[in-house]
Amino acid sequence: MASLQRSFNCDKICDVMEENNNVIELRDISVVFREKPVLEQISMDIRTGSFLAIIGPNGSGKTTLLRVILGLIRPSSGTVKVYGKPPGSLGEEKHKLGYVPQLLEVDLKFPLTVEEAVLMGRYGRIGLGRRPGPKDLEISAIMMERVGIAHLKKRAISRLSGGQLQRVLLARALANEPELLILDEPTSGVDQTTTFNLYEMLKELHREKITILMVSHDVGVVASFVDAVACLNRKLVVHGKPSEVLRSEELEQMYGCEAVFFHHGRIPHMVVEDLR
Amino acid sequence: MDILQYTFMQRALIAGAIVGALCAIIGVYVVLRGMSFVGAGIAHASFGGVALGFLLGINPIITAVFFCIATALGIGAISRKGDIKEDTAVGIFFSATMALGILFIGLFKGYSVDLFGYLFGSILAVTQFDLVMTAVVGVLVLLIIAALYKEFMFISFDQETATIVGIPVVTLYYLLLAIIALVIVVSIKVVGIILVSALIIIPAATAFQIAEDFRLMMILSTVFGVISSIGGLFLSYALNTASGATIVLLATAIFFITAAVSPRKRRKRYEPPENGDYAPSCLCQDESDGEEGSSKKGTPQHETVQCTHKHQD
Repeated sequence: MASLQRSFNCDKICDVMEENNNVIELRDISVVFREKPVLEQISMDIRTGSFLAIIGPNGSGKTTLLRVILGLIRPSSGTVKVYGKPPGSLGEEKHKLGYVPQLLEVDLKFPLTVEEAVLMGRYGRIGLGRRPGPKDLEISAIMMERVGIAHLKKRAISRLSGGQLQRVLLARALANEPELLILDEPTSGVDQTTTFNLYEMLKELHREKITILMVSHDVGVVASFVDAVACLNRKLVVHGKPSEVLRSEELEQMYGCEAVFFHHGRIPHMVVEDLR
Repeated sequence: MDILQYTFMQRALIAGAIVGALCAIIGVYVVLRGMSFVGAGIAHASFGGVALGFLLGINPIITAVFFCIATALGIGAISRKGDIKEDTAVGIFFSATMALGILFIGLFKGYSVDLFGYLFGSILAVTQFDLVMTAVVGVLVLLIIAALYKEFMFISFDQETATIVGIPVVTLYYLLLAIIALVIVVSIKVVGIILVSALIIIPAATAFQIAEDFRLMMILSTVFGVISSIGGLFLSYALNTASGATIVLLATAIFFITAAVSPRKRRKRYEPPENGDYAPSCLCQDESDGEEGSSKKGTPQHETVQCTHKHQD
């Protein structure tokens, strides 16, 4: 239990970093849906420049936690701060956010070209009632180029493959010129090559000092890319460097993250051995 | 074209063109957001407003404007706040406002043939006042939609991301409802309360079958809307049929013709790759709202997920 406590406080990573450069601060977050606890007592700091994956089995509350951070759900108790402010009342800080929703949630029937979809990423910055200017078009063109979809810009989103659509969503998030990129299950519904390419792109963005937070059930692959893993199962089970988290006893014993591990890991054993 | 010499016909045609375009434009949002029933509900609510106008001796269009906007906002408020779904909220308002209308008509001592004009639409019924009103509302609605074009598109496509980047999603939702109400009210003289929602939904649905980008859907919907209303008015004159019904049936005919010749069937899921970019893999959807949290220790491998290969060759 002592070691678990240590993991909660995440002193391992936190110590290395300086004070007060948290992008996200969660304090005792609990969420209750219809008298059923979904999240209990989550406290966590996410530092500027980190690349964190929140993992956990189905129903562990990962997506709920993400929605709390994004200000889409108000927690039943506890406080959330994003850039030092509650997520519902971000001012200019809103423009520091880039959000990539789940691929399976995208309305593919919506008549929209790649170009139009990516430009949407600028809308928050452009402001109400204004039209996109040359700068906006330029930035979305750069982002399309960057993720490798520039040649598809006139294509309807309904005609894209899963991997292409995912790059569209990433380009849209990047068009907002974010400092914090948040991704919800970016690997569900896509094949391994796409997953790998996405992680490579994220790694590159991370090198450019973008803070990345993603929710994933893809424990195995995720471990080799991110620099911190938080394992969630209603409570925060462990939080730390991937190598520690994935080997930890707590993970094994307490909340069954190993189930995720087996169930989604197409190459999990390999990865774990690498880490050792 | 001797029919154009009649003032009533000129007025009806101008009003018809404006109304056809307006309904078609807001129809794009209504269809894409899945708000068809909201449109029908607000349209029927206008009956209560019209009846109130008769009762109070005020121009029914004026009372209908307030009545419909109030209903639209009420539907929005109830479906946003409580546990009640939008369609249920519509169902409640729909019947309650119709009932109020019937009550008002009962209280109204005079005699009114006009009421049928409002219910079913009548080209003879379009007055100078109606025309001015239609034009004013038309300009207003077009200005709002032109100004907030990108925001309305964003909230229709991806409300969540729009919220996150700071688009005032809730305010825009109410504004959209108010616009729908306004457009419906100015349209009832031409197509009638009962059929007005068809003029909103059908041209947009027709355009939806063809268009692959948002702008094109807007343009095509408008074209189909105007063709339907102008063409329908001429047909109704020529065949001596009810104008609203003729317009709606013409729009429906265009819809089915388009459906028959439309080259493309929309898909809901990803297709296999054209160029090897995508190979279908497991679609393990994660539902994280607190269902099956605990795992069974000991038998993890075979237990958990049978990935379903949604693989269409």
